[in-house]
Amino acid sequence: MKLSEFTRPDTLAAARRTLRELGPKGMVLAGGTALHFMQGKTPVTAVDITGLGLSYIKQKGNFFVIGAATPLSDIQRYRGPRWAMHEICRRISTHQIRNVSTIGGNIARVFPWADLPVVLLAMDARMVVYSGKEKEIPADEYFSSQPARLFRGGDLLTAVKIPVLKAHHGFGSVKVTRNAAAFSLATIAALLELKDGVIKSARVAAGSAIPFPQRLKPVEAALVGKEAVTAVFKEAAAAAGTAAKWVGGEGMSADYIRELAEVSIVDALERAAEFARGRAE
Amino acid sequence: MTKTTHTVNFTLNGEKKTFGTRPDEKLLTLLRREGYRGTKYGCGQGTCGACTVLVDGRATYACLLYAMQAEGRTVRTIESVGTFDKPGEFQKELVAAGAVQCGYCIPGMVMSATALMETEEVFEDEIVKEYMDGNLCRCTGYEKIWVALRKTLDRQASAPAKRAGKKSSSKGSKK
Ligand SMILES: Cc1cc2nc3c(=O)[nH]c(=O)nc-3n(C[C@H](O)[C@H](O)[C@H](O)COP(=O)(O)OP(=O)(O)OC[C@H]3O[C@@H](n4cnc5c(N)ncnc54)[C@H](O)[C@@H]3O)c2cc1C
Ligand code: FES
Ligand code: FES
Repeated sequence: MKLSEFTRPDTLAAARRTLRELGPKGMVLAGGTALHFMQGKTPVTAVDITGLGLSYIKQKGNFFVIGAATPLSDIQRYRGPRWAMHEICRRISTHQIRNVSTIGGNIARVFPWADLPVVLLAMDARMVVYSGKEKEIPADEYFSSQPARLFRGGDLLTAVKIPVLKAHHGFGSVKVTRNAAAFSLATIAALLELKDGVIKSARVAAGSAIPFPQRLKPVEAALVGKEAVTAVFKEAAAAAGTAAKWVGGEGMSADYIRELAEVSIVDALERAAEFARGRAE
Repeated sequence: MTKTTHTVNFTLNGEKKTFGTRPDEKLLTLLRREGYRGTKYGCGQGTCGACTVLVDGRATYACLLYAMQAEGRTVRTIESVGTFDKPGEFQKELVAAGAVQCGYCIPGMVMSATALMETEEVFEDEIVKEYMDGNLCRCTGYEKIWVALRKTLDRQASAPAKRAGKKSSSKGSKK
């Protein structure tokens, strides 16, 4: 992306005003790591949002609130009760990238291989969008199609709210890569609610191996009401084929990728169940 | 480079500096243009680590940072860590271990290790690997780099006098 100008607004309102004035000639810059790779013929003005106080993590009631400009390494380091976001952040790219790229940059414009949308879908997170005032958008709606649609008019993502996991709830995520820093071949995230060993509710999401991150509803349906045991997880994972369109790549067939996803679904569910059991008391 | 249109101010290796730049110039390009050639250009796309510098103490790829993003920040390059005549501790160990072959990756490795040593107090393997996971070496197979780093870290960890000294300075002032 060619930058012709660079601005550093000092309030959210000023940033939005600038972006509205610039229209398609303006571009939010958080970490800027994705900007270098974006194609675009017309040069744009970078609107740097790192001076707006949007880098923080705090627990507020039943939510962890993460500022949109918080770098992934801070999320990886943070610890709170039943906190589960650090695992996936550790698995994204390298130390240097995690130090700079932000949660907002990862989910404001979703690339097919992005990991955080998968996790946020499973966790039922809420995205806070500023359009003069702040509005909360649930993950299902936010990720129903490319979120960049929400920001065209100069609106900004300001925070991500993640529900604090309650007792008997557990979360697990799996990212399959060829080497430690590689883009994901398949990313799976699962949230389970257990009651006396039985699955009361489930949210399972996938990304990378499919065109756009999404929930796997047939897999979820195959879990609810059943016992949280491996055989059940395997049976549910077998529904992955009907749940999404799996795409091959890097020399791997679509069938292979689907099987990889099925195995990863079982692993993510095992982790989620262990989390739910281990911390239920 | 074509004419500069903007200026950027930041602290570079301890000195306040102002540089001419353009909005889409990378920090890496600016640094090398200004003579800080220890910072290397490898892949130019955030995958090799040869361009690693510290920005406000954090290891960062200078090839994926616009120079304008450095405004008001503190930037450190390999030139601040050691010189040929006066190498830093890790640099000395790298030489002693025979860990340097072509040497292209080394400035980046040293900067990541510097961030590690200046941020963390406990150097468990897990933490060390995390700090070093963004630096590739295409020659050595990493073993000797790891040995040199482990030696440097173990020495730093077992230097109680220096560490205690650091802490006691604040305690001392309360007396
Ligand atoms: C080598 C490399 C490897 C990577 N590997 C992975 C990986 O394995 N998994 C993964 O998930 N990601 C990966 N990433 C992606 C990385 O996480 C993204 O580059 C990053 O998420 C973008 O964050 P940023 O803060 O740098 O965003 P920017 O580059 O600043 O912005 C990205 C986009 O989002 C918009 N934007 C940013 N913040 C806001 C906001 N608050 N409101 C509205 N719009 C906004 C920008 O305008 C731009 O369109 C990798 C990146 C690199 C360079
Ligand atoms: S040159 Fe920057 S990471 Fe390779
Ligand atoms: S010594 Fe040649 S790349 Fe590391």
